[in-house]
Amino acid sequence: MSAPLVAVKDLVAHYGDTLILDNVSCSVNPGEIFVIVGGSGCGKTTLLRHMCGLHAATSGSIIYREQDITQLDEDELARLQRTIGIAFQSSGLFNSMTVGDNVALPIREYGDVDERLIDAIVRMKLSFVGLGDSGHLMPSELSGGMRKRAGLARAIALDPPLVYFDEPSAGLDPIMAAGLDELILDMRDLLGLTFVIVTHELDSIRTVADRILMLDRGKAIFTGTVEEAEHSDVERVKQLFERRPDEFIAQRNV
Amino acid sequence: MKERRLQAPTTLDQESGRSLWESLSKTPSEQGETLVIAFNETEKMDSLGGAWLVKIAEKIHKSGGTLKLEGQQGSVAELLEMVAPALQKPVNQQGVEPGFFEKLGDTTLAVLAESRDFLELCIDAIYWSVLAPFEGRGFRWEIFVDEMYEMGVRAIKIVCLMNFLLGLIIAMLMAKQAESYGISIFVADIIMIGFARELAAIMTAVVVSARTGAAIAAEIATMKVQEEIDALRGMGLNVNQFLVAPKLMALLVVLPCLVTLGVLSGVIGGSVWGIAVLGFQPTVWFTQTLNSAFLEDLAQGFLKTIIFALGIVLIGCHNGFRVSGGSRGVGLMTTRAVVMDIFMLISCDIVFAAIFYYVLG
Repeated sequence: MSAPLVAVKDLVAHYGDTLILDNVSCSVNPGEIFVIVGGSGCGKTTLLRHMCGLHAATSGSIIYREQDITQLDEDELARLQRTIGIAFQSSGLFNSMTVGDNVALPIREYGDVDERLIDAIVRMKLSFVGLGDSGHLMPSELSGGMRKRAGLARAIALDPPLVYFDEPSAGLDPIMAAGLDELILDMRDLLGLTFVIVTHELDSIRTVADRILMLDRGKAIFTGTVEEAEHSDVERVKQLFERRPDEFIAQRNV
Repeated sequence: MKERRLQAPTTLDQESGRSLWESLSKTPSEQGETLVIAFNETEKMDSLGGAWLVKIAEKIHKSGGTLKLEGQQGSVAELLEMVAPALQKPVNQQGVEPGFFEKLGDTTLAVLAESRDFLELCIDAIYWSVLAPFEGRGFRWEIFVDEMYEMGVRAIKIVCLMNFLLGLIIAMLMAKQAESYGISIFVADIIMIGFARELAAIMTAVVVSARTGAAIAAEIATMKVQEEIDALRGMGLNVNQFLVAPKLMALLVVLPCLVTLGVLSGVIGGSVWGIAVLGFQPTVWFTQTLNSAFLEDLAQGFLKTIIFALGIVLIGCHNGFRVSGGSRGVGLMTTRAVVMDIFMLISCDIVFAAIFYYVLG
């Protein structure tokens, strides 16, 4: 088995005095779709943001490309971040630029490509996500699903081997969400990308996930395939896949 | 129709894609020709290779030709399927350019629609600020007090400083002219009358519009972008009562106070020059200052502040409500509000000058 693309070991993270991640360990293999799941506020997005190098960890290590992200200085981290794509929950598109300029931005800044080719790359990346003719539009003119796809097009602008995607299906209708899941699978299969996705949408998890990591109150309580998760004995994992509410909420609603 | 054939390389990447492009560019393409690219030998392809293919498609479309891909198989075929939309001829996104009269008509209609919106806002805001509290329909007194502090108390230092400096500048300028006629003492009159009638009101209003007008526009625009305005409407609350009325009443109260401080600061600024440089005794200078001022001079200045306060708040709110397009829109509307405020201040001042100095004599 090949070495993991990303390896998180004993990661501890705080917001102020509040412990958010408690000794979390996991590894992401090349070419897989690794999904981080868990209830709201369990630390999914925090883990993702630490893996991207957007937050500094309290302790632990995150190894990517044989470098520990937590130990890098600002310049080294910035260089490493150019080899990953990040698609944010709210898309993170710059409102002052057209969709095409948003996608072109990382290529112009960092891409070692022929200047004549940039427009063509932008058009192609937008076509990948089904927005081929939307390059001239402003982000405010796009629907929620289109914004997510445009954010993904920007994330893959530099052909990164690894893409982090925070809540791809949040706020989308089921058809749009299914389309986005298809897109993620296509990109993995055809472009050979590795995805780390944060979500709590069961349909998406079942469609795209090769392996999942489940967090509960900042702790990693399960790692394995979806099938293993569906048959897991861990109560919290069973609860998630059976969509059972917590006891006190269920009682309160009676 | 003429057909031209190209063989795609075994691996289509940035280098081989460029070679393909260059081999096409060497021979000029004929009008309406069909370019066929054979992919039967292509086993691998990356996105930069795909981008060169998009570039080739654009060139062919420009010359009125068509592009055909054939022989692709396996993962290359699937990848080409994903690239396919980018290989299509782009649809004309610009549409038909409107003519001069269409543009004129559109602009006129837009100005009329905006004027109607602004008028509605004025009427509604004045009702909720001035009349509704007396009808027992509610007024947010706590916010009103907070706004008075923010718009008034926190602006005192900058308003006083600006007027003080302006007083100093006017005294320097006038003293130079008056000295040659031996009437330097009348600089005190000019400063007092100037600040009471014009300068304090306009300088204070400019400072307040840059400070408060911009803040109002940015605050409301951000609320609109974040759907807070819709949330208020969804809760059945009147936005003008909730947001605009406390701001309007607050500025109507604090602007005359700030202008009063502005007059005092300007006069002090002028007196510093008169006493320290022109050498007048303080009693002489201040007696001259006080004798030059009449109640009607001060009244003229204060009357303006009511219109200025109305204008600054309503223009700020109006631009805030008109925002669209996220953070960029917030920036644009804030700038627009300040520019409109300053234009409004100068325009109103001209009207006041015409009325006070020529109509009323």
